[in-house]
Formats: sequence, C-alpha cells, structure tokens
Amino acid sequence: MKRIIATLVVALFAIAMAQGVTIGVLSPLTGGAAGTGQAQKAGFELALAEINAAGGVLGQPLKIVIEDTKADAATGVAAFEKLMTEDNVEFIAGGYSSGVTLALVESFRTFQPVVSWIGGAVSGVGIDGFDGIEELLGAEPWFFHVHPWDYQNTEASTSFMASTGVKSVALLHEDSAFGGPGAIAAAGLLQNAGMSVPLVEAFKSTLTGGTGDFRATIAKAAASGADALFWIGYDSDVVPLTSQIRELKYDPQYIFGAPPGWPSEFDAAPEAQCVAGLIGYLPNLPNPEAKTFLDSYVAMHGKAPDNYMAALAYAQLWSYADAINAAGSTDQDAVIAALESGTFKSPMGEWSFKPSVIALHQGFGSEMWNVFQFQNGVREIVWPLARATAPLQSCR
Amino acid sequence: MDLSLLPQAVVSGVLASGLYALVSVGLALAIGVIGIVNFAHGEFFMVGAFLAYQLFVSFGFDPLLSLLFVAPALAVIGALIYLSSIRFVLKAPELNQMLLTFGIGIILQNLALLIWGGDPRTIANVPYRSLGFQVGGVSIGAVPLGSFVISLVLVTGLYWVLAATPLGRAMRAVAQNRIGAGLVGLEVNRVYLVAFALSALLAGLGGVMIGVIQSPTPTVGLGFTLKAFAIVVLAGLGNIRGIVGAALTVALAESLVATLVPNGDALRNMVFFAIIFVVLVWRSRRVA
Repeated sequence: MKRIIATLVVALFAIAMAQGVTIGVLSPLTGGAAGTGQAQKAGFELALAEINAAGGVLGQPLKIVIEDTKADAATGVAAFEKLMTEDNVEFIAGGYSSGVTLALVESFRTFQPVVSWIGGAVSGVGIDGFDGIEELLGAEPWFFHVHPWDYQNTEASTSFMASTGVKSVALLHEDSAFGGPGAIAAAGLLQNAGMSVPLVEAFKSTLTGGTGDFRATIAKAAASGADALFWIGYDSDVVPLTSQIRELKYDPQYIFGAPPGWPSEFDAAPEAQCVAGLIGYLPNLPNPEAKTFLDSYVAMHGKAPDNYMAALAYAQLWSYADAINAAGSTDQDAVIAALESGTFKSPMGEWSFKPSVIALHQGFGSEMWNVFQFQNGVREIVWPLARATAPLQSCR
Repeated sequence: MDLSLLPQAVVSGVLASGLYALVSVGLALAIGVIGIVNFAHGEFFMVGAFLAYQLFVSFGFDPLLSLLFVAPALAVIGALIYLSSIRFVLKAPELNQMLLTFGIGIILQNLALLIWGGDPRTIANVPYRSLGFQVGGVSIGAVPLGSFVISLVLVTGLYWVLAATPLGRAMRAVAQNRIGAGLVGLEVNRVYLVAFALSALLAGLGGVMIGVIQSPTPTVGLGFTLKAFAIVVLAGLGNIRGIVGAALTVALAESLVATLVPNGDALRNMVFFAIIFVVLVWRSRRVA
C-alpha cells in the first residue's frame, strides 16, 4: 500500500513538474496607462523567449498569464483574484500604478503568493497621515519591490538639480498619488540641498481627465522667477507642457521632467530641444547589457523600447526564473530565499534585492536613474557624469 | 492670488472656449436630433487625432491639411456605425442605447490600441505649435487662436445649416417630433444618418486639433468628452444654440480658477461639475 501511495505521489509530482511553472502578471494593457503596460508586456515576452531558449525553469518551459488591470483599482483586484483562484499561480509579477497597488494590499495579504512588483512607487515614507505601499507591504517577507521608491526618485532628481548650480526651482506636479507625494518630497529635498522652491503647483494631467491646457500653471511658474522648472507628470503631458512653455515665452535655464515614459517621436519635435528627463534605461547606457538588450528587443519587436518599464519587466522575469532554478523547486520559502540571496542580470547592469527604509526587499534604488537631455533629436545622457554621453546644455 | 495674470487668464479662457464648443456641438447634435447619448463621442476625437497623426507619418501632411481628409473619413465612419448599429436601437430603452455606444467606444479604443499601440504619439513637426504672440503683455498662442477661429467658423456654419437650409429644417423638424416629421414626408432615418455622420465629422475635426495640442493615445478623448458632456448639460440637453455660451462659461471659469487659485489647474474638473450642479439645481427649482 505504501509503495502505491509513494508511486502516486511521485507520479503527481512528475505531472505537476511537467506542466511547468506559471507566473501571473498584472499589467495595464489597455486604458490610459496602456503605453506602460504594453512596454512591460514586450519586456516579458523577450525575457520569456530567452528563458525558455536557455532551458526554461526547472527543466520545463516557463509560462506567463498576463491580466489587464487597465490601471484601474477595481479591475486590478479582480484580475489578481482571477490569477489566484482560476489560474492557481503561485508567483505574481508585473505591477504598475500606486492607486492599483494600494487597492491590492488586502488581497495580497489574503492570498500571500510571492509578489515581485515593479511599481507603484509611493512609499508613504515621510508623509504624515498617508499609508504608502512601502509602509503597508514592505515588511512582508513575500513582497519584493523592483522599481525605486518615490524618495529614491526624488533623491536622484534633486542630486541632478543640485549638480546644475541653479538657485531656485519651480515645481509643477500632477495631482494624483503619483505626483502629489513625489512633489512634497522633492520640495523638501531641494530646500535641504540649498535651493529655494518659490512655487509648488498641482495640475490636472491629461491621463486623469485634463485637457492639456497648462497655460495657467506655466504662467505661474514664469511669474515665480525660478531658474529651473521641474515637473512630475505623465508621458501624455509632455507635448502640451513643453509646447506651451515655448508659446508663453517662458525660458527657464533647465526644463526637467520625471514622467514614467516619453511620447513616441517626441525626439524629432522642436519642442524637445533642451528638455531633460529622468529615465531608468536608455539604449546608449555604457554597460554592455544595455546594448545586448536593445539588439534582442529590436530583433523581437522591430523597434527600440520607448519606455524603461520594458527593461524592468525583462529584469523582473529573469530574476524569477533564476531564483526558481536556484531554489530547485517552487516551494515558496525556497524561492523567497533565492530571490533574497540572488544577483540578477538586467539591461541596467547587475541588481539584487536589498532592504530600503522599511522594505525587506527593494530592487533598484536611486542609482538606477539617469538624466538625459534632448539635444538635436538625440537623447544624450547628461547625468550622472560617469555615464554622460554629452554635457548638459542650458535652454537659454 | 496674482491679479497681474488676470488678462492672460481671460484671453486663455476665451480662446479655449472655441475648441470646447466644437467638441460639444457634435454631441449636442446627436442628442438633439437623434435623441441618443453617444458615449463613443470621445472616441471620434481619438480617431480624428490618430488619423491626423497617421497622415503626418505616412505623407508628411500638416494637421491643417489633414482636416480636409479626416472630416470626410469621420463622416463615413459615423455613417457606417449608424447603419450597422445605432439605427437598430433608436426605439430601444435609453439604457440599451447608452450601453451600445459605450461598447462602440471600447471597440474603437481597442482598435486604436491594436493599430497604433498604447504609447502616446507625437505629430512631431508642427511649426506653429509653440508659436505665441505678445499683445500688451498677454500671450496669444497660434494654436489656441487658430483652433478658436476654425471652431467659430464651423459652429457658425452648423448654425447656418440648421437655420437656413432644407437639411437643417428637416433636422429641427425630426428633433421636435420624429413621428410628425415622418407623416409629412421627411425620411427620418436619412436625417438621422446625416446628423450622426455630421456629429462624427465635427468630433473628428476637434480630434485633429486635439492631436496637435496633445499626444494621440487611445484614451486622448477622455478629458474633452467630460467637457463636452458638461457643456451639453449646461446648454440644455439637445440645445445646440446654447453651446457657444455654455462653452465660454466653462472655459472662462476654468481658466480663472486655474490662474487665480493656488493649485487651481487641478480643480478644473471640479469647476465644471460645480457649474453643472448649480445649473441643474437652479433649473429644477425653476420648473418646480
């Protein structure tokens, strides 16, 4: 009898293994953030093809099931519960939007799969009366956060601003959970770095129902007399904001933005000249992995990635594959241990999960960020100086 | 509150009202003549914006030139949508009509996603997009001024068509009483078809202008759809003549709040919903 049971257990285990590992992915494939979601999807597809070409996971092809969150909280929760109850996945990847992530907190706690989450970035650290993602999930042993937190983003932005030598900065931000807390943190850091912030002003992003008329906000920035303009918004805000800055004859020394991505073909627009931005991945990064990723990406998708979320998604899926292979099983504790101890490859160079202010497992930090500037239709890296491909130019 | 910005706020508000009127008048036409609340109206803006983008990418067409191609294209798309779906629900409950147009909107959004992807696009070489003139310390942008003039011409043209042409009289007759209009020999379905195509055409033209101002994305129509519904409600459902005044009210109020109130730009949507709220309460009290 014991032999029969043992045989059955072994057979069931073999069947389970033969089915391979499936990772559930949550990403905004449609809706206002579809650009980011589609970039993530493209990154996952490339990583999946490479992982399976290299032998897969635990000897079987890795599979992913992508569910669309539409960057909408209720849709995101339903999509996650579908992955857990119908697809029966044990690992969650993807992730975007602080609003969706905050809505998922209780569902994550209920099911407690291994969650490797690219973004949102709203940590809540340093903001009274608001519980952010790092505060709510950071201490959970099964939660891994890939994208830098908001304070790490602002730390990089502030360091760049300080490096330019400007004395005052006007700070414009979109009014949701993305721009609001980031602007509060940025204003504090800029002041701590010795710069004055004569204006902190919210605007309604085109992504959240605005019509792209930013003239009133820009006029206030011009009236503030600040040396530089720093704005936090979305990629769809780039064209109206930069064109209206020119239309109103506002000429700050530097125009610096931190959207999640930049519009396609904006490089060729005259409004782009001298505009600077924060970005995680650029094809002209000096590390060899950036070039390898670019070549593979172009071979698969026929164009270069427009959004650094493709690179983060690629890095995230590879980290899962490496960790599960290192663990030798899908046992949750073993995979968590492998994610904690592993060093993984990415287009931005090697990375690993380390503790941050609250979180046990934080992937990339402020060191991931680069500042580029549009110079004659090319995105030149201008900061940090160690990676710079061209010197920073003044807009005046 | 910096009152030195007041003249700029007034000029910006007046200029913005032109585009607001254009994007609203097509919606008002669909509601007023056909009696259908078209939730896919914003997607017509989006299609117009993407067509202008595609004409620029494929043929290097300036958006002003693309107006000539986008307008008939949107009229055809509107007519096809009417013939293939809308006409079958004209006598159905309003909820069914709304669900249908909502579904059409989702289909158009996803088609755009398939064709152009989710990344915001840029009509890259628009030489006048950043152009502004200084007049007495006030900046007048070429794009807002141009879109104001074009919108004014189109809306005035629509008013003229409605007031002085047989087609316009037919539309007004059908809007007042579809059964009566049919009894006197008007082909009601043909009038509806023309009205819906015209509504889509006007939205498409607005979409081209939106494509110049913003990055075309599958959801680019959202902000303007909210405005259009607000303006149509403010003007009175189906009241096409009230659109210009309502658009001016909303645009001026938004611009003044955005300029004179700290963080006022973030309050834009609150402003127009507040206006709607006040107007609806006032109207209901007047009726009571």
